[in-house]
Amino acid sequence: MKKHGFLYELRKNKALFLMAAPAVLLTFFLAYLPMSGLVLAFKNFNYSLGVFGSAWNGFDNFAYLFQSGTGWLITRNTILYNLMNLITSQFVAVIVAIIISEMVGRLYKRFVQSVIFLPYFISWVIVGIFAYNLFNYETGVLNGLLRAMGSEPLNLYTSENAWMWVFIICLFNMWKWTGYNSIIYIAAITGIDAECYEAADIDGANIFHKIWYITFPAIRPTIITMILLQVGRILRGDFEMFYQLVGSSGQLFQVTDVIDTYVFRSLATSGNLGMTAAASFYQSAVCFILVIVVNKIVSKIDQDSALF
Amino acid sequence: MKKFQKFLALVLVLALAVTVFAGCSGGSGSGSAAGGSGSGSGDLPDVDNSQAVNLTMYFISDKPGKWDEVEANYNKLFQEKLNTTLTTQWIAWSDYGNKYPLLFSSGEEFDLAYTATWLSYASLAQKGAFKELDDIWPKYAPNNWAQQSEAAKIQATVNGHYYCIPTLLATYSAYGPYYRTDLLDDSEWDGAMEGFDDLETYLDAIKAKYPEMQPYGVTMSGSELDDMWLGANSLYAIRGTSWLFIDPFADEPKLTTWYQYDGVMDFLTMMKRWCEKGFWSRSALSNAGNNEMDNGIFCVDVHNVDTYSGKVINEYNDPKGWTWGYKNWVKDVSNLPFTQDACVIPTTTKHADRALQLYDYITTDEEGYRAFMNGIEGTTYEIVDGQVRTLNADQDYGSTGMWAARNSKFNLPTEGSPEDEQEMKAEWDAYIAENGNRHSQYYSGFTIDTTSIETEYNACGNVVQQYWWPLELGFTDDLEAGLKEFQSQMEAAGVNKVIETLQAQLEDYIKNFPPES
Repeated sequence: MKKHGFLYELRKNKALFLMAAPAVLLTFFLAYLPMSGLVLAFKNFNYSLGVFGSAWNGFDNFAYLFQSGTGWLITRNTILYNLMNLITSQFVAVIVAIIISEMVGRLYKRFVQSVIFLPYFISWVIVGIFAYNLFNYETGVLNGLLRAMGSEPLNLYTSENAWMWVFIICLFNMWKWTGYNSIIYIAAITGIDAECYEAADIDGANIFHKIWYITFPAIRPTIITMILLQVGRILRGDFEMFYQLVGSSGQLFQVTDVIDTYVFRSLATSGNLGMTAAASFYQSAVCFILVIVVNKIVSKIDQDSALF
Repeated sequence: MKKFQKFLALVLVLALAVTVFAGCSGGSGSGSAAGGSGSGSGDLPDVDNSQAVNLTMYFISDKPGKWDEVEANYNKLFQEKLNTTLTTQWIAWSDYGNKYPLLFSSGEEFDLAYTATWLSYASLAQKGAFKELDDIWPKYAPNNWAQQSEAAKIQATVNGHYYCIPTLLATYSAYGPYYRTDLLDDSEWDGAMEGFDDLETYLDAIKAKYPEMQPYGVTMSGSELDDMWLGANSLYAIRGTSWLFIDPFADEPKLTTWYQYDGVMDFLTMMKRWCEKGFWSRSALSNAGNNEMDNGIFCVDVHNVDTYSGKVINEYNDPKGWTWGYKNWVKDVSNLPFTQDACVIPTTTKHADRALQLYDYITTDEEGYRAFMNGIEGTTYEIVDGQVRTLNADQDYGSTGMWAARNSKFNLPTEGSPEDEQEMKAEWDAYIAENGNRHSQYYSGFTIDTTSIETEYNACGNVVQQYWWPLELGFTDDLEAGLKEFQSQMEAAGVNKVIETLQAQLEDYIKNFPPES
């Protein structure tokens, strides 16, 4: 097979190149060019010298992340929370999608879908206020119920009870994202050829057989793509969620602190651009490695489902 | 392999592209740095007002809709008196963080600008962004120079030279509880509020009468009772940190933090007792704050006198039948740094003499001051019984963002402000005048430079929030153990290096600017 040069390709497929050009240019200007700012992570930033004129300072900016062992703790928390959220929100979303698509009543189906989707539109600031009013020691709904039933009120904001926040946070995350994620799966399920189900009906399959042997395999590529995309964000805690739910309750930080909240707390007042850039660089670098590794694993198992 | 080579080629192309762009911005960056290095004043002639000049002033604020009318009004006056006009340039709040630093690196010609400690005044001065004022300040702004306090002049000094003109408006380190008095009108409460014991009596009385209230205001941003405790015990918290303090009366003050301080257990035991009495919620640190004070859930907090004054003015404008009281508990009252609002002359100006002359006129001549700070008499403001009444508030005349130009002599209280405010301020002024530039007043000139210890300093701030805040609010069961944990976390974060470095800076300060004996 004869190999052709780039110019030949360009001439031959000029319409295709033209069509791709806007997207390529946008990505280049909005995603690749700003990446040059990453040098900031290795600089002692000085306003009058600018990003590229400032002096280099090696890995000094990264040091504060790992000062007194916090780096490991917050990295662990971030990864575990994201894994939990991956399982809860994605898994539940798949189940919800299947249930909704199996529903018969059209109106009821729409209604359920809207209700599940609604939390997506509620800002974390509002959710934070919900949570505070639910769990507040003195006036919270939870403790009101406990008192009414004659048991001791529960103070969730102490270090002894901090572990409960793992479930609270995952629950809120699930509540907020399930509806949104399920939309994508519902779309995938709608795309499945109805003839498959009709054939299964004739063969005498029941509803569980159909879900297991038809629906699941059909939406597997979608599930894998969604998970791969989520893995790319695994080191980015949903800052707003943690910040609004926990606030400054120091006794919970051991359990609830993620990289983003730690960086925010440490640098909000000092405004050191180099250090914030370093934190962001650290997150991106680890995410990059994770995506490559997971993608490799996926392509070993199933070549067609891998992203690249 | 082929695939990999292609990929490598792509990476190289991208890298090249990035370096090309990097080269551009790098070039412009260094060029501007070179432009800002000259700062000598040279011999300037006496002010010659024969030429009409138009000066430009930059400051941070959002431009009000009808500012042009105000500007035309004061320019008529400036033209007549000094043959000068002034154009104001407003940097909007939304992007001052980007625009302000660029102002001095762009090489643009202008004549006056606002600066402040929180806008990195000291580091910009070191980088040569501002004109050195050693000779020209007393020469062209003699009235302003004469009214400056010693503390203010020290605060304006960077590397032995003056680079800014601090504000002439005195603000005070006075701090104390502002509290509602109407709640206990018909009870036996004696009205005393001289210290923590009185506050506890007050809070007990409130809690007995209104058990559903959480009377002391604590939210996500923490409580300031720790700072209050220091002030009430004649200790001085170093500006810029919330966890380092000194004894301002000691001959050789040592930087101290909470676990090194003898009185810490007294403080913590009191706070634990208050928490158990329900003066604040046990979940308070997760409360984002929803105006509880105005909604009648909180009724007391510690803050400065302006907050108290604001509450009283609110009540005047929109009466709810609430009355407020205020007491200062800080024993060794001092002025807050005067450089928290200041004026600079950029190195690019061509009219430093005229700029200083104009600034002198604005800050020290009542006519110039009123026109620039208050606006148009009869249209935007009028003075009633020594208080300023805002007129046509709905018409967006606004007021200037050049807060540095304020002067205690001319700055009048807003209509409806409390009567005792001026008395208290007079008391503090008398105390400061009597004590001279000593103790807290003297140390207010000391600012910390954390450049070399940024990592440790930030880590410590973080530990304070994680361990000290819950301890301070009485959320920790075992105080002794909690304090030990706090100490060990602080040490792991590098507190000793922080204290050592800052202690050396403090000693340098004492050596370079010896206090009055």
